[in-house]
Amino acid sequence: MKPMLSLTGIHKRFGARCILDNVDVHLAPGQCQVLTGRNGAGKTTLLKIIAGLERPEAAQVAIDGNERGWRRARSALRRDVVYLHQYAYMFDASVEYNVGYGLRAARLPPSQRRARVAEALERIDLLHLAGANARTLSGGERQRVALARAWALQPRVMLLDEPTANMDRESREQTWFLLRRLKSDELCVVVATHDGHAIATLPDIELHLDNGNLFPHAVDTHSHRPTPGPVATGSAAGPRLEERG
Amino acid sequence: MYRLMTLVLGAALALTSSIAGAATPLRLATTTSTDNSGLLDVLLPKFKKATGISVHVIAVGTGKALRLGANGDVDVLLVHAPPAEMKYMHAGHGVNRRKVMYNDFVIVGPASDPAGIKGGKDAVKAFEAIAKHHATFVSRGDDSGTNKKELILWKDAHIKPSGKWYRAAGQGMGKVLQIAGELNAYTLTDRGTWLAYEDKVPLKILVQGDARLFNPYHVIAVNPNEYPDVDYTGAMQFIAWLTSVPGQRAIRDYRLHGKQLFHPTAITKQ
Amino acid sequence: MHELWQASQHAMVLLFTGNRDLWEIIGISFSVSLKAIVIATPAAFAAAFVLAYTRFRGRGVVMSIMNTSLSLPAVVVGLTLYLLLSRSGPFGDLRLLFTQTAMTIGQVILAFPLVFVMSHSAIQSGQRAAWETALTLGASPIRAVLTVLYEVRFGLIAAVIAGFGRIVAEVGSSMMVGGNIAHFTRNIPTAIALETSKGEFAQGIALGFVLLVLAFGLNIGLSLMQRKGGVAA
Repeated sequence: MKPMLSLTGIHKRFGARCILDNVDVHLAPGQCQVLTGRNGAGKTTLLKIIAGLERPEAAQVAIDGNERGWRRARSALRRDVVYLHQYAYMFDASVEYNVGYGLRAARLPPSQRRARVAEALERIDLLHLAGANARTLSGGERQRVALARAWALQPRVMLLDEPTANMDRESREQTWFLLRRLKSDELCVVVATHDGHAIATLPDIELHLDNGNLFPHAVDTHSHRPTPGPVATGSAAGPRLEERG
Repeated sequence: MYRLMTLVLGAALALTSSIAGAATPLRLATTTSTDNSGLLDVLLPKFKKATGISVHVIAVGTGKALRLGANGDVDVLLVHAPPAEMKYMHAGHGVNRRKVMYNDFVIVGPASDPAGIKGGKDAVKAFEAIAKHHATFVSRGDDSGTNKKELILWKDAHIKPSGKWYRAAGQGMGKVLQIAGELNAYTLTDRGTWLAYEDKVPLKILVQGDARLFNPYHVIAVNPNEYPDVDYTGAMQFIAWLTSVPGQRAIRDYRLHGKQLFHPTAITKQ
Repeated sequence: MHELWQASQHAMVLLFTGNRDLWEIIGISFSVSLKAIVIATPAAFAAAFVLAYTRFRGRGVVMSIMNTSLSLPAVVVGLTLYLLLSRSGPFGDLRLLFTQTAMTIGQVILAFPLVFVMSHSAIQSGQRAAWETALTLGASPIRAVLTVLYEVRFGLIAAVIAGFGRIVAEVGSSMMVGGNIAHFTRNIPTAIALETSKGEFAQGIALGFVLLVLAFGLNIGLSLMQRKGGVAA
């Protein structure tokens, strides 16, 4: 499986503090990666860089094997990658409008747009709330609308930043359930989370961010899944892995 | 919503570009007293009928009117402060200064008349009496023609007005009459404004008829050599009409509250 | 008291019998001030957005200049503009002095800081997540800006209302660069100043009444918008 998207040599600092130090990320279709790390380790920053929302000091971006400069890469990333905030931001309008936002921006004809929005809402079981103002929804419902909003765009990559933080157990399980339902062979999903249940059941690959470096982590031994494929590794982390071991 | 915003922005741009200059009319700087008397409301329509030129009136104090002329911001002046006008002409800012008319100033004050100037014919004596009694006097204090006239009278009386009894208001004539009414004070006013206010303030005419209280108006064209694009032709047409028989007759026939206000001087025999 | 009552009665007669001069003055006021707010608003929004969403050297200086210009007196704007537009000034060749355009320029200068500062705080109170969400869903930067502005629309409308309220009632700049020319540059505030000085209180009261009703309406709109903005945020 060839990676469709590679970001290598990512450097990012805020002032004097180095957040990401020569980090590599490789994403392949149909794959699910889980990103762990302490609060403030830079998970959000890394995801935002992959989404083209945050500018790194240095990074080489290859899309489908073609190297791109940051400016051109950024517009491709914004088109193909959707980033979902920890607390989903809902535009002050109906649920239907929110889910159709990206399609409107992509100038999809209204009839197709409506069909796609309905399909997306059906997948997350919120079709009955299509007309409601999205700001009136609960936190769990908002997260589901955000999932539908991203999924409706048929992106190649979805990045979820702590999607279940501050959720009760029921909402959490529902979110993971829906995420599994939205997964497909074309879509790559990266989830930053602390949720042990998700880490145990969801990923093909687990990555751990610590001290500016990315460590590939074998999925826990009690997992029913096999060890990860060779697609995603933190290259800089390679030697350190040995130090740790 | 996106479409709505584009629409609003488009409308904004369309409105902005619609701001365009119209044909420029003749610009006349004159004194507030002329404008407030209502005389121009009669003269200008007649002038427009005769020549087709419309006039924009900028009514300010004489000092500022002369300043506007010196800066080339207006085309023609109608003002009443001969010494300042002469200075203006000597500086080369104006051409073709002509006599137009005069009205007169009167000294007004409270009916109780604490300075005892009532019925006098000598303006300077009246000012001396006011100063001697420290009776409250409200001055325009705004470098207007009326203010200049007042200062000349104090000078003639060899008095430097100061102290609590002398109040410089820095306001137009109407405002000053109101203030004088409130303070039971004396003041110097042109007859036109006085007629408009007679019923509104508790003051009476106390001194009038002194030749020194005559208030001559002159019309001056702004020097086209200083500002080539002032409307010199329009200014000359205005001067010509104002000093012609129809213009002078209109001035003579103007009545405010049934009384003649201005006496034409460009043509003495009519 | 009696005089005030009489003048007020006369004022209402003037207003509601459609006195032509009076309504012409009102029309000029609205025409000039609406143009000014329409010009100032997009510029102020754009500047406010840039200041709220980018970090650059001198940003703090710009903010404090804007905050200071909030209290810029209208007469100072008028005087400066007069000196610039005068025939003997640097822009005299444009022949703009004593025109409605000059009044509009003055009011744009007066409205801009207020609309800017209020819309800046409205945009800043909105969440950065709105901007990022729009971008990551594939919106072009322009669409994303419009989305962010739409999200804080009540705050922005409040800014525009406040700006309009300031300029429609200002007398200093309009008098100085408009010249209070009858039927041309005489707007509500300069007409009130003139009519009062002539002792024509009825006209002054009638026009003052129009301003009062307008201010009242704008204030209701303003507090309505601010309440809505508060709920939405």
